[in-house]
Amino acid sequence: MPMSALLRHGLPLLLLLTGLAGAARASEPAVLVVSSERSPAYQEAAEAVASELARPMADTRRQVLQLTVADLSTYQGSAPRLYVALGTEACAQLGRTPVPAPVLCALLPRGSFERVLRETGRRAGASLSALYLNQPLGRQLDLMRLALPQARRVGVLWGADSRANEAMLESAAQTRGLKVVGVPVRPDEPVFNGLKKILDESDLLLALADPQIYNSSSIQNILLASFRAQVPMLAFSPAYVRAGALMAVYSTPVQIGQQAGLLARGVLQGQPLGVPQYPLQFEVSVNEHVARSLGLRLDAGSLAERLRRLERGT
Amino acid sequence: MKFFDIRDRMLLAALLPVTLVAVLLSSVFLAGRYADLDEAHQQRARSLARQLASASEYGLFSANTSSLQAIATGALREPDVRSVMILNAQGQALALAGSSGLATLPALGSREERQVDATTGLELLVQPVSASQVRLDDLFEGGTLAGQMDAVPLGHVVMEISRAGVVSRSHDMLAIGLAVTLGGLLFGVVLAVRIGRGVIQPILRVSDMIHRIGRGELSVRGRVQADDPLRDLQLGLNQMAEHLQQGRDELEQRVALATSELRAKKEEAETATRAKSRFLAAASHDLRQPIHALGMFVARLAQLPHDRETRHLIGNLEASVRAMQDLLDALLDISRLDADAVRVQLQPVPLAPLFDQLRGALQPVAGDKGLRLRVRGSEIWVQSDPTLLHRILLNLVSNALRYTGNGGVLVGCRRSRGGSHLWIEVWDTGVGIAPEYQQDIFREFYQIGNPERDRSKGLGLGLNIVDRTARLLGHPLQLCSVPGHGTRFRIELPLAPPGDLQSLLAAADSPPVDDVRGLRILVIEDDRQSAQALRGLLDSWGCVVAVVEGLQGALTIVDGGFVPDLVLSDFRLRAGESGMDTLHQLRTSLGRPLPACLMSGDTDPELIQSCRDAGLPLLHKPVRPAKLRTLIRRLARPQPASVG
Repeated sequence: MPMSALLRHGLPLLLLLTGLAGAARASEPAVLVVSSERSPAYQEAAEAVASELARPMADTRRQVLQLTVADLSTYQGSAPRLYVALGTEACAQLGRTPVPAPVLCALLPRGSFERVLRETGRRAGASLSALYLNQPLGRQLDLMRLALPQARRVGVLWGADSRANEAMLESAAQTRGLKVVGVPVRPDEPVFNGLKKILDESDLLLALADPQIYNSSSIQNILLASFRAQVPMLAFSPAYVRAGALMAVYSTPVQIGQQAGLLARGVLQGQPLGVPQYPLQFEVSVNEHVARSLGLRLDAGSLAERLRRLERGT
Repeated sequence: MKFFDIRDRMLLAALLPVTLVAVLLSSVFLAGRYADLDEAHQQRARSLARQLASASEYGLFSANTSSLQAIATGALREPDVRSVMILNAQGQALALAGSSGLATLPALGSREERQVDATTGLELLVQPVSASQVRLDDLFEGGTLAGQMDAVPLGHVVMEISRAGVVSRSHDMLAIGLAVTLGGLLFGVVLAVRIGRGVIQPILRVSDMIHRIGRGELSVRGRVQADDPLRDLQLGLNQMAEHLQQGRDELEQRVALATSELRAKKEEAETATRAKSRFLAAASHDLRQPIHALGMFVARLAQLPHDRETRHLIGNLEASVRAMQDLLDALLDISRLDADAVRVQLQPVPLAPLFDQLRGALQPVAGDKGLRLRVRGSEIWVQSDPTLLHRILLNLVSNALRYTGNGGVLVGCRRSRGGSHLWIEVWDTGVGIAPEYQQDIFREFYQIGNPERDRSKGLGLGLNIVDRTARLLGHPLQLCSVPGHGTRFRIELPLAPPGDLQSLLAAADSPPVDDVRGLRILVIEDDRQSAQALRGLLDSWGCVVAVVEGLQGALTIVDGGFVPDLVLSDFRLRAGESGMDTLHQLRTSLGRPLPACLMSGDTDPELIQSCRDAGLPLLHKPVRPAKLRTLIRRLARPQPASVG
């Protein structure tokens, strides 16, 4: 993959540049990318931001600096014109501290950004905005319709974070002629009781990002229960597909990074940050084994293409 | 006991390591096996519990009691499992299989627990059931909630498992271990005893042989075997015993030879001594009779009126007889000393009269040799026996005069030991005595420089008598001599307080000439010559004398009216008659203790002793006329005042 190769060779150079920039204050960074951690996903996203910004100009690399949250406190260079916070932690950090430039949070779920807003008491706007990791609910429902045309009932387990989307989902479902079977789960309550009801009454389990319900401990049993009940799960990340969900629609860090880069370029060109956005680019992933077990024949590529066409067409 | 020691020690040396190793090894292996057993059991129990937990995960997640019950019941099929209980996160038992002996549930945490009930031997395992983790690597997991979600388990599996199997297998293993150990020990004992016997037997055999050799059994030989570990020792021992035996035999032969030689020499010497004694006795006896008679005759002759020349001859004759009598007296003294017949009568003795007597007796001898004899008079009294002391001094001075060619002899006194004792010293200017002879001169018949036995030099008995007498008296005798310059003998005596010298002198004064006149004396003598001489002497003293030859004659003459005042009898009479028996019968017939005196030429110590036992005075031939007269006077006229 050219991206990872670039990453592998470019990272030491990048860090070197970062160090040079820190030492010599001559060049003023236009954008400071602050990652929550130094994991491949963040690296890819950061790279995508930088390459998106680099595209029209010859000498922009020097205008993009990459840091982690841990390095931020020791950053002594001059203030950038835009901060790009990758991940929940970076967003929370930059949201809490008053910075002299607008902050664009990316690569974080909508629930997390909204929690940052609640905690800091700020509002999303020109100084603090976000590019969500979540897919828009309509896109998920559209994928469901494309993959399982006869399914009508959509089961959702509402946790504390995801509960906010209930009304939005209801309306989205209604417009598509679908029925939402939602069961709220309290934090101290076993998931299984609600899950049983959903599995009994739904054609598909729509998983919405909420760590209270979907986490690495619970996912195995939830997937097992849904599989036993022959109710497929539509998830929000390729990891879930690998763990046993039927399919997922999601955006890769690179896609997020590119979109964030576009937004950043807009800011550098003088446009203000707008309201938080959902990602535009996305991928579809299908677990062939699960599909076969359920007697389905699905192709991820064609599904994604049809979904994109559907979105473009409308 | 020593043999058993060796055997025991060998056994101990062989068995101790075997025992230690066996016990140690079996302990180590048993302990290891116990630990293995226990660990295997624990691992099995633990893995069983984990299996149960993982099998129960979905059942607990979905609260499926029937599936949980099936799992629990299935677990009971495993050996040793007593009960299985599956509880949900709230602690409610969703499934129970088997009979739980639990009164109360243990604390349920998020960790694995293991408890052992020592009384029932049951092991209790608590296994939390947690959801299996799936790595999502997802940006959606904020990381804030994930940690908390992990900590809460879905529920618990509580399993009771019995340790009875472990215990019984431990017991089996212990039994096997003990059996192996004991078997090994037994084998070790047998081996040690057998090997030990091979080593100990030769040692015991050799040791026994050494013991026997030590006891003197030199003929003992050990068997030499080719496979004997102590073969060389045995060979050497045999050789040693042989050498010892040879050496002892040789030694015994030599000793036997030497002993027989010694015995022969001793017998020879004894024979010689006996011969000497016999000769002395015979000679003295045979010599005495004639000298006795000669003395009597000369005494008788001297009392007759003679012209001057004849008187001179008689004087010489008397001197010769006296010398002969002195010689015989010396022999007699030796005999008496040999017979322990000398009685010591210690009393205060004044030295002055003793010295006078000495001077009187020896001045003529000194004068004859042209020597000067000086006797330093002294008023000192000493504690001694006067007769024996006189004899000692007489001998010493005579000896000194005999061996002094010119110069003189000095007798003097010197106080010693702070004045409590007195040395009487006899100095001469004679030839002296070489140091190598100073011990020998006190032996009998020893004379220096007189191999030809010149009789004028005496018999060599003088110093022997001096030495023995001085020892008898307890007077130390010392000799100091320088050859060619002279000799000093000295004798030490204790001092005595001075007594009445005058009365003593008066008592010792010579009695009146006619003190024995008119005494009737019966003489029993078988030797005609002696009898005649004695009669003549007694006649010259004015005694009335009757001479008979034996008892018969005596009885006859007594019956004939002769009443004797005194009897003088020879000891050995004719026809085996003893003078002692004759006197006894005579006294019996007279009916009164008739004073009597025996005379004998024998110096036989037994004779002297028997006379003393009978209380009869004994005169030795040749009898000195003066001595005879004194005795007659004492016996016939006993005076209470005089000393007996």
